[in-house]
Amino acid sequence: MFVSCIRICVLLLLFSTIAYAQEEKETVNDTLVYKQKYGLRLGADLSKIARTFLDDNYTGFEIMGDYRLTKKIYLAGEIGNEERTIENEVLSNTTKGSYFKAGIDLNFYKNWLDMENMLYVGFRGGASTFSQTLNNYGIYNVNNQYWNQQFSVEDGTEFSGLTAIWLEILVGIKAQLFNNFYAGINVQLKGLISETAPDEYENLYIPGFNRTYDSGRIGGGFGFNISYLIPIFKKDKIVVQEKSTEE
Amino acid sequence: MKKIKILLLVFALGFIGCERDDICAESTATTPQLIIEFYDASNPDDLKSVPRLTVYGEGLPNPNPPETEVDETIVFNTNTSAISLPLLIGNEGETTTSRFILEQDTNLRLDEDDTTVSNIDIIDLSYTSEFIYVSRACGYKSIFNNLELDIEAIDGTFWINNIEITETTIENENTVHVRILH
Repeated sequence: MFVSCIRICVLLLLFSTIAYAQEEKETVNDTLVYKQKYGLRLGADLSKIARTFLDDNYTGFEIMGDYRLTKKIYLAGEIGNEERTIENEVLSNTTKGSYFKAGIDLNFYKNWLDMENMLYVGFRGGASTFSQTLNNYGIYNVNNQYWNQQFSVEDGTEFSGLTAIWLEILVGIKAQLFNNFYAGINVQLKGLISETAPDEYENLYIPGFNRTYDSGRIGGGFGFNISYLIPIFKKDKIVVQEKSTEE
Repeated sequence: MKKIKILLLVFALGFIGCERDDICAESTATTPQLIIEFYDASNPDDLKSVPRLTVYGEGLPNPNPPETEVDETIVFNTNTSAISLPLLIGNEGETTTSRFILEQDTNLRLDEDDTTVSNIDIIDLSYTSEFIYVSRACGYKSIFNNLELDIEAIDGTFWINNIEITETTIENENTVHVRILH
């Protein structure tokens, strides 16, 4: 009887220690809260401004903006104006016009702590109205040596009221340089949906779409922009960290 | 962060001045030449070679007439049944004329025997140019409309019997534009 009593006591003690140990090892949630800025980010494309100064055949600017909707999704768009002269051995053509692009950016970058960088994929619809001036052109003739004749036409012809619509996918990054200032770069792949081209001629350049290719409806481009975030409100970003303690 | 900034710079530098060069491919059909074929006058469906033919633009070769094959001779002292003539390009819509010397039996002029001579006929081609856009690399080409043709014989005897214009518009080099019967 005495022996069985001791046994029970020992077993109880044993179980109690186990129960106690288990309680001590339970995980604890540690939550950190970071303030995330939401607002309108406005910027300009530096590459177009630089090219305006460096390239005699180009004048242009682009203003870009985005507005953060959710943690990942931004409304984004660009408007711009370009004048570009394409000159080669056989023709010289100047395109002038304006464009706008609108769509969304999806941020895929998991920011550490309170950083607000972006690694994003964007989708845009773009539209442009422009005019083209064929400044001069040559008549291509492989036998022009025969009569020693290089025939060229110098009269400028203007084709106005031209339009184009395209879709665009872009991949880029935006990094916070310092408080509210961002630098970004992106590459753009464009697909022309429709265009009005001059009769008996073609659109060699479309503002916003950039140069066209003989081989198809695909175009490309890139942007290098600096932007400033106007903070409108802040949202909490809650980071939950799981810690297990052994004490 | 620092890596991202460096990456940005590399991207920016890499893209400056990236533009594909376009070259007008040789296979592109640009300004066409006039294609002439020679047929038998007594049997107009059969091709017939012109014996010892020499062809050149009027006034072009130096010395004139040419003694040997030079750049200006389209064919020289050759038996042939087809020639291609490069036409002068004129202002769009204006009538332009190109004249070519067609000399038969060139060998008779070249040989030492003064009693035998070659036979020279001149073809006078008049037409209007029309400029058509080809591509950004080739620019424009000219095609030729309203082709008219006259023949003259400076020596009084024609070796050309008759001329038929089969295409009044010279758009490409895939068809014969003029048939000459002799």
